[in-house]
Amino acid sequence: MREVAIIGVGSTVFGKLPEKTPDELGGEAALAALTDAGVAPKDIQFGYCANLYGGMVIGQAVLREAGVTDIELTNVENACTGGATALRKAWWDIASGLYDIGIAIGVESMTTSPIAGKLITPAKGDITGELGMNMVARFALTQRRYMHMFNISLEQIAKVSVKNHHHGCLNPYSQYKKELTIEEIINSKPICEPITLLQCCPATDGAAAVVLASGDLAKKYTSQPVIIAASSLKSGDYSFLWEDMTFSDMTYKCTNEAYEMAGLGPEDVDVCELHDAFAVNELQHYVELGFCQRGEEIRLLEDGVTEIGGKLPVNTSGGLLSKGHPISASGVAQIAELVWQLRGQADQRQVTNAKVGLAHVIGGEVTGLESGAVSVHILKK
Amino acid sequence: MTTTVPFKEGLIEEVSGKWALVGCRCKQCGKIIYPCREVCLHCLGRDMEKLNLSRQGELYSFTIVHMPSEHFEPPYAIGWVELPEGIKIFSQIRGWQEHSLEIGMDMELAVEKLWDEEGKEIIGYIFRPSAVEQKDVKQ
Repeated sequence: MREVAIIGVGSTVFGKLPEKTPDELGGEAALAALTDAGVAPKDIQFGYCANLYGGMVIGQAVLREAGVTDIELTNVENACTGGATALRKAWWDIASGLYDIGIAIGVESMTTSPIAGKLITPAKGDITGELGMNMVARFALTQRRYMHMFNISLEQIAKVSVKNHHHGCLNPYSQYKKELTIEEIINSKPICEPITLLQCCPATDGAAAVVLASGDLAKKYTSQPVIIAASSLKSGDYSFLWEDMTFSDMTYKCTNEAYEMAGLGPEDVDVCELHDAFAVNELQHYVELGFCQRGEEIRLLEDGVTEIGGKLPVNTSGGLLSKGHPISASGVAQIAELVWQLRGQADQRQVTNAKVGLAHVIGGEVTGLESGAVSVHILKK
Repeated sequence: MTTTVPFKEGLIEEVSGKWALVGCRCKQCGKIIYPCREVCLHCLGRDMEKLNLSRQGELYSFTIVHMPSEHFEPPYAIGWVELPEGIKIFSQIRGWQEHSLEIGMDMELAVEKLWDEEGKEIIGYIFRPSAVEQKDVKQ
């Protein structure tokens, strides 16, 4: 297996961007990544484009905007894990020796999607959906149980949102650049109790792209290649095997595979982007990603370990909570943030001397399974 | 008289005047699953034995939903109820306005109207705190 490096990253600003089509958003991110890499569009040999709501062959329309045509191009969908899936497939196509240089893109326009402003109705025969389940409720159920089991307060969970919104204020790509207080978060509109509006990530439009090359070829383009030390992707297991709904078994398994592949452990991670779709998720993922033992996650947060300036800053980009969550773009946008961090280009968000970064995304509700898909990538200088 | 129709076939049945959830036990690996299937998802065994699940369980978690849904006016409650068989059932939770919900509280199965559809009453299982009076619908 060959070494694969990221040689260019790009992103649109995230936000409510109804005036831009998905093609334009994706094209903008792709052009930014190509420019960052110093790669001519005609040198790109293959690509993957992740998207959920934009319709068929969106990758072709996206790359048309960036001068990339006449290549092997594959469109992928894996819910919130779509972007990470595109990256993993691109990684493998180079690691395996099939190609030397390619691009992975994630793009989503929620405001122009067919579901924008509509009631999301369950599929006929989806028992839990018909009985009133939805994505927020699923995590509200987890959160209630988690608070009960580990004696965690809503104030403590809200601190995740305070932290990530603070980080978002430092990120020019972030949808929100507004400091929040614990009181504002707790007193915001109840969505599915105990989850209130400001414990949830927003609906977001945006795109991100990554140019990858074989380790050898990467040296031709950059003096600062970022190596993909591990790439892991898993589907969820049956709910009836999932004993403890406050602990994501699939995240735990996927993370351990990634650490093994990288020959690294949680103690080596300097900066992390994880899936904070809801504030509570971040605390739970600290444990599953091996950053602490169960019961220590509140201390990690309250001691400032996971904020910028701490020992292991998490979601320096603002995370999904503040930077926003354009579903299929998030997994690629996380990689862009980590690459900026590892190159020392994260400006006010810069983590001192960051050498190893970990990215984690999970998502896609499937009745009868823990979740649809999870992915972990580990990057190193 | 209004016709009552289960929201999905095969989930519940009436046994000596009481409703029960219809699960299955795999005779090969012993796994109990709900709803019932012809093939055990755990070991792919095909010898599945029908099993009426306990009508009582404990509230594992719950949420009051304030979002609109296809069939229910917010706010409504949903949750997971853990049965003595060791499985968790996702369900509408009723009686929460009369009796505030707490994790671990005793819950009891009932079958009630869930919503109306084309002149029919769509029925299904719900759970409510055991402390609240039950009111099963009769088919």
